[in-house]
Amino acid sequence: MNTSQPYIPRAGERIVSSERFQSSKRAELKIWWREIDRVLLFLVILLMAFGAAAVAAASPATARRLSTIDVTLPDLYFYWAHLKWQFIGIVTLIGASMLSRDNARRLGVLVAAGALFMLILVPVLGSEVNGAKRWINLGMRFQPSEFLKPGFAIALAWILSWRLRDPNLPVLAIVSGLMGFVGVLLMLQPNLGATLLFGGVWFVLVLLSGVSIQRIGALIGIGVAGFTATYFLYDNARNRIDAFLGGGTAFDQVDLAQRTLLAGGWTGSGLWLGVRKLNLPEAHTDYIFSVIGEEFGLIVCALVVFLYLAIIARVLVRLADEENLFALLAGAGLVTQIVGQAFINILVNLQLFPSKGMTLPLVSYGGSSTIAVGLTVGLLLAITRRNPFLTRETPGLRTILPAKGALVQKVGRK
Amino acid sequence: MNTIAVNTTFSSGRSGVSTLRKRSITIARLRVLWVAIIFACVASAAVARIGYLGVSDNTIRTTSLADALLPPRGELTDRNGVPLARAFPAYALWYNPKALGDPSDPLVKSARDVAVELQAIFPALDIEVTAEKLAAGRPGYLQRRVLPEQANQVMAIGELALELPRETDRHYPQGSMGAHVLGYVDAEGQGKVGMEQVLNDRLTDPALRGEPVALSIDMRAQGALEDELRRGMLATNAKGAAGIVLDVDTGEVMALASLPEFDPNKIDAEGVNYMFNRVTNQVYELGSTFKPLTVAAAIDAGTVRDFGRRYDASPVEVGRFKIKDSHFIGNHLNVAETLIHSSNTTTARIADELGPTKLRQAMIDMGMNERPYIELPAKGHPIWPGEKWPRLRNMTVGYGHGIAVTPLHLANAYAAMVNGGVWRPATLHKIQPGAAPKGRRVFKASTSSRMRQLLRMIAVYGTGKNADAPGFRVGGKTGSAEKPGKGGYRQTTLVSTFAAAFPMDKPRYVVVAMLDEPKGTTASSYQRTAAWNAAPIVGKLIPRIGPVLGVRPDTSRDIDLSDLKPLLGAE
Repeated sequence: MNTSQPYIPRAGERIVSSERFQSSKRAELKIWWREIDRVLLFLVILLMAFGAAAVAAASPATARRLSTIDVTLPDLYFYWAHLKWQFIGIVTLIGASMLSRDNARRLGVLVAAGALFMLILVPVLGSEVNGAKRWINLGMRFQPSEFLKPGFAIALAWILSWRLRDPNLPVLAIVSGLMGFVGVLLMLQPNLGATLLFGGVWFVLVLLSGVSIQRIGALIGIGVAGFTATYFLYDNARNRIDAFLGGGTAFDQVDLAQRTLLAGGWTGSGLWLGVRKLNLPEAHTDYIFSVIGEEFGLIVCALVVFLYLAIIARVLVRLADEENLFALLAGAGLVTQIVGQAFINILVNLQLFPSKGMTLPLVSYGGSSTIAVGLTVGLLLAITRRNPFLTRETPGLRTILPAKGALVQKVGRK
Repeated sequence: MNTIAVNTTFSSGRSGVSTLRKRSITIARLRVLWVAIIFACVASAAVARIGYLGVSDNTIRTTSLADALLPPRGELTDRNGVPLARAFPAYALWYNPKALGDPSDPLVKSARDVAVELQAIFPALDIEVTAEKLAAGRPGYLQRRVLPEQANQVMAIGELALELPRETDRHYPQGSMGAHVLGYVDAEGQGKVGMEQVLNDRLTDPALRGEPVALSIDMRAQGALEDELRRGMLATNAKGAAGIVLDVDTGEVMALASLPEFDPNKIDAEGVNYMFNRVTNQVYELGSTFKPLTVAAAIDAGTVRDFGRRYDASPVEVGRFKIKDSHFIGNHLNVAETLIHSSNTTTARIADELGPTKLRQAMIDMGMNERPYIELPAKGHPIWPGEKWPRLRNMTVGYGHGIAVTPLHLANAYAAMVNGGVWRPATLHKIQPGAAPKGRRVFKASTSSRMRQLLRMIAVYGTGKNADAPGFRVGGKTGSAEKPGKGGYRQTTLVSTFAAAFPMDKPRYVVVAMLDEPKGTTASSYQRTAAWNAAPIVGKLIPRIGPVLGVRPDTSRDIDLSDLKPLLGAE
């Protein structure tokens, strides 16, 4: 046994890398494979593979819609483009997941800062598409808000974890101020969907950071009030919500989406045999879930829902055993970001939620957004990396729960 | 071990932060479960919704892409495929004051200017009323049924508030022709009155509405019938007219008209008044047209065997009631003379000899005691004398009084009388060859062939001369019945009917023409009786419809009358 004193980091000292563990690329890969959440990786790859099939199904619809007299897009134009983007996305995913937790945090915060800067520039430099100014054209057109997604959760988690160093820091105020700032920038575009999503991530992180129940209740109240205010102040949202509540007019996009969704029945019409999808605008992005419904059937739709549920359940169950506050917050924030967006999209397709203009992450066609989702998942994998040979020093949830129950009782008696 | 010891000494210096860390982690770990529960709820809502949508009938309702291409309501055609009712994609002129975003100032130009421009396109539009509507700023229709070129002109006005939504409308390309057969479609899209009502489910069924429904009507015969009836009605200042052309072997209605008619393209208060169908809904005492039916029943029962036998033609007295003829015909009349000169007295005696039981049974066999058999919703119930007929009632029924039926009843009975004796229900559906209903036998074939001779003789020698279109071998019987009014029959208000069949050597069609309260005019030689108004209508109609229905005029053919002809004028 080694009898020398173990290394204890102290202020001003740097870790001296040990000569004995000189890492080779191969060894690093081995360690990566051991530490990474392989179930999550498998679920994500499965969903992306299914996404490729779904885009193949939806591609003819969009390709035909966008073809002009001069340019005829081949039916599978978007499929091949999607495969290309997915390849880049997977490379990004694997690359990001190879980072150490600290480096992942640094990258996340940097990305957040960069994306926020771009987001500030959008009102000045942005190009307008479909009545909303969301894109910046730097050789390649991209939405800064897409890249803010992976960074935002990490940045908020990082800021919230400052409190462990200095309990007096007003981390909640900083985080909420940041959220407000991002919200204002997004509403300038205007982009209600993204605002809602970022708000959801912020809410989850604030919830996890230990804010009292009363304040959470107050926050929910403010959220409802804010949503009502949006309804009255924001035309696009009002129109969409009116259309949602009033059932819409025949052949608007919501109605078309539902017709497409149900056209295949339980088992679907079969790949490339759907016909309703051809009338659907945005078949390959916002309404790809409906195309899945037509060509693969409602049962597969339910399976997709379960896949997303499996992803978030897997991540959250693992996080429930986490002892690093930053990792816990960042992991929960990132997974909320991905699955939250997926559920908003699915609920829109099922007409349980007003139309939002949001893609189905990991499945929908997208260029920069596929890369951004890849980056999000990569960072999530990096942050949830865990040495399987280390035993947890924190007690299991089972030992906490009764204590918590007692706490609740005490509060109740007061 | 000392490792742990070192660790504890290290953290004891910052115990506050450590507890905070532990507490934060514990809370966060617990609340992670909350988040998981929230997401599980959302996911189950989504799955439940998928299940709900999957079992709802939306799936079936929305699958058929062909729905959009099919007419919203199936077409109706005549028996040859000529469209009688079709879906017509029209425009409407809708005023949408919100189109410019500001409902308080909906128009670019002034309301009056726009109204003037609209009036130039739609001359029927009132400028003042339209300007008021435009200025009021309430959304609404300004005009229904806008033609494409008119729509273009409206677009050229350049007012966004004038919208031209496409609306599918029901259009009857033949105008008011066959209105009572077709009916119309109301604002809610429900068929009314005629076959539109009868076939409502069939015409709106997504699986079937792509196929037009063929009616039994022949558009050419229908047009001719309406034309001749209208002419006859106007010439005699009659209140109304009714007519029907019936195929004797299948029961198919080739034409059916009730005048005055309505225009299914434009339903207004006046049109609603005329929706009453005189052929199937109104019951009349049809008078002398019943006499051949009585004679046929008597021949069939064997009470009339000898056509040379003469019956006493003096007035019949039953109690205090006296049956007379309209004028003196002769002291004694045989059966042929009875029909040719339409004698009430001898018919009453023939009916008396036949007896009420047998005559009543013959009438029941011909369906005179129930509503007529046809698809149309409006069917009148006959005024039926009931169970036990006294002697007088038996006699009056014999010449068509004391019983009121629709003209359709009469046409059906005549068809059975001339087609060999088989009664068949009338239908407005086109019947495929060989698919005619079997029907029920009411007369012997020999009776039927005897009746053809007698009916032909009426048209050749008797009151039906005006209906004898050359070459068409018409046979038929007139009927001029006084309409019952307050305190008995009114001698001046008549119902004139002519019930005919042609060609009598091989009858194909029955034609019934009826005028309601014709007046004596120059056109009818100041006569009110059927011989002068209803019979000429049939005489002019048959040459028009015969050729289109497959009966060619042929003067070299006729039914053999040689055995009965010597009986005429023997006295």
